[in-house]
Amino acid sequence: MSVIDQLSTELARLPGIGPKTALRLVHHLLKGSREQPRRLARALEEVADRVRACRVCGNFTEHEECEVCVNPRRDASIVCVVEEAFEVGAIERTGQYRGLFHVLGGHLAPLDGVGPNELNVASLLGRIRDARGGVNEVILATNASVEGEATAVYLEEMIRPMGARVSRLARGIPVGSDLEYVDGTTIAEALAGRREM
Amino acid sequence: MHLQRLSLRRFRNLGVQDLEFPPEGVAIVGDNAQGKSNLLEAIYYLETLRSFRGAPDMQLVEFGSDVFRLVGHLGGTGVSVEVSAAFQKKGKRKKVTMGGVEPDRLSDALGSLSAVVFSPSDVELVSGGPGDRRRFLDILLSLNEHGYLLALQDYRKVVARRNALLKDDQAAELIAAFDHGLIRTGARIMLSRLRWIENRREAFCHYYSTVSGGSRASMSYRPSFALGPAGSLDDVADAFREAIASTRDRERRVGSTVVGPHRDDVRLRLGDEGEDLDLRDFGSGGQRRTAALALRMVEARTVRESRGEEPIVLLDDVFAELDEGRSERVLDLMEREETGQVVLTAPKDADVRVRSDSLPRWRIRDGMIAS
Ligand SMILES: [Zn+2]
Repeated sequence: MSVIDQLSTELARLPGIGPKTALRLVHHLLKGSREQPRRLARALEEVADRVRACRVCGNFTEHEECEVCVNPRRDASIVCVVEEAFEVGAIERTGQYRGLFHVLGGHLAPLDGVGPNELNVASLLGRIRDARGGVNEVILATNASVEGEATAVYLEEMIRPMGARVSRLARGIPVGSDLEYVDGTTIAEALAGRREM
Repeated sequence: MHLQRLSLRRFRNLGVQDLEFPPEGVAIVGDNAQGKSNLLEAIYYLETLRSFRGAPDMQLVEFGSDVFRLVGHLGGTGVSVEVSAAFQKKGKRKKVTMGGVEPDRLSDALGSLSAVVFSPSDVELVSGGPGDRRRFLDILLSLNEHGYLLALQDYRKVVARRNALLKDDQAAELIAAFDHGLIRTGARIMLSRLRWIENRREAFCHYYSTVSGGSRASMSYRPSFALGPAGSLDDVADAFREAIASTRDRERRVGSTVVGPHRDDVRLRLGDEGEDLDLRDFGSGGQRRTAALALRMVEARTVRESRGEEPIVLLDDVFAELDEGRSERVLDLMEREETGQVVLTAPKDADVRVRSDSLPRWRIRDGMIAS
């Protein structure tokens, strides 16, 4: 396999990129100065080497803890639970949310063998317990799919006995859509209109 | 609405043909196995994006070819709309366009052609199992009621996941987590089915009586648990919640969800309401076929009311198995119901009696149509 084939095979593994687009990208990278592909390679390497999950919430970070968790101005009495770390960014961009996050790493998916133990559920419950009443509200921002809904119901049953108020994002987020693809205004409205479960 | 033009490209044995349909319809005459039903199947494909005969898309592509394509031009009030559907074997890709535009989801293109098919296999609606009748309701309501298909798809997802947990003997909290979605989507489906049957039972009775020449039959909803006097979505949801609570042990033992719309049935009975003669068990061949016809007539009326236009009526050799009297009364009924375009198939000229023989005739041989 030539190095050109190698690169286009790798690119074609990315979501939304077919073999044709992959080859077009490779050709584009080879057309101009070689500085562009080198910069891309370095950026990819650094992402792979330096980005990891925040020790507390699971958000992306280059340190032990993410910038949300270490920010003293964030309201530690509210925790917003999302499925994937990308969704933290989607909510942050609205500029409407001042609390903390918790990334589950997916949703309950019985057909794929994903249960509570495969998700960051124990660490979420631990955070709420260790705060000793310091967490007043947990916002469940799981996706509007049937599995996201079941995940929210499951978490609500676990969290409510610990004394925190539990709310779910208001409808308005299209059914079956992932938060990261929903526009900011819609997310902001859903946050503002969240309802207690 | 009527079909003005249909372009066929390698669908079954129909080859490459462009057909112009008269607004009143056409009678297609030809021996068996020449492709008469294939043509109706092609037309109806533009309504449901699948074969009404239950054939997988792969089988609809002409032998030795990779792609079939259908393009229909529909005339309604003034404007003409183009609907197309294509399927490629390699990669199993289906592509649909409406007015040249590909919809976001395939399901958005469902029902763009209004049609109802009458076929001899409809008798299965009466003599078959509950699953046949549920499929009838699901297709009908998906095409004619906004939101039904989405609820149905979500419901099936929830049931599959819930059953996996039950089979795996997982924790009760985990199973209960899926109850919420089960009840939300399931109640929505049940209420739609209940309302449709309640609103259409008289029409069913009327059509059955007319075609049979005065006999009576009834249609009623039979859910898998007692609904009580359910009037609202909340009533149905409450009854469903109770039914799940009372079957927790049983579903554990069986390893699957035992109550819900996936266990519904439609009861079709002979005689007046209250009499307990199930058509499925006690009906004669003629009585069952009459009930099946009545269900299709009710379907046509539903399409007419929900979309505000006459559906195209596709009659697939339906008089072959009906006796003389019933056939005459069906024809009478169709004349009176101000049916729109009619496309019918028959093996012999003598079998074409709709519209007092006034329908133009097309011959079909080896899939090729000659007008
Ligand atoms: Zn963090």
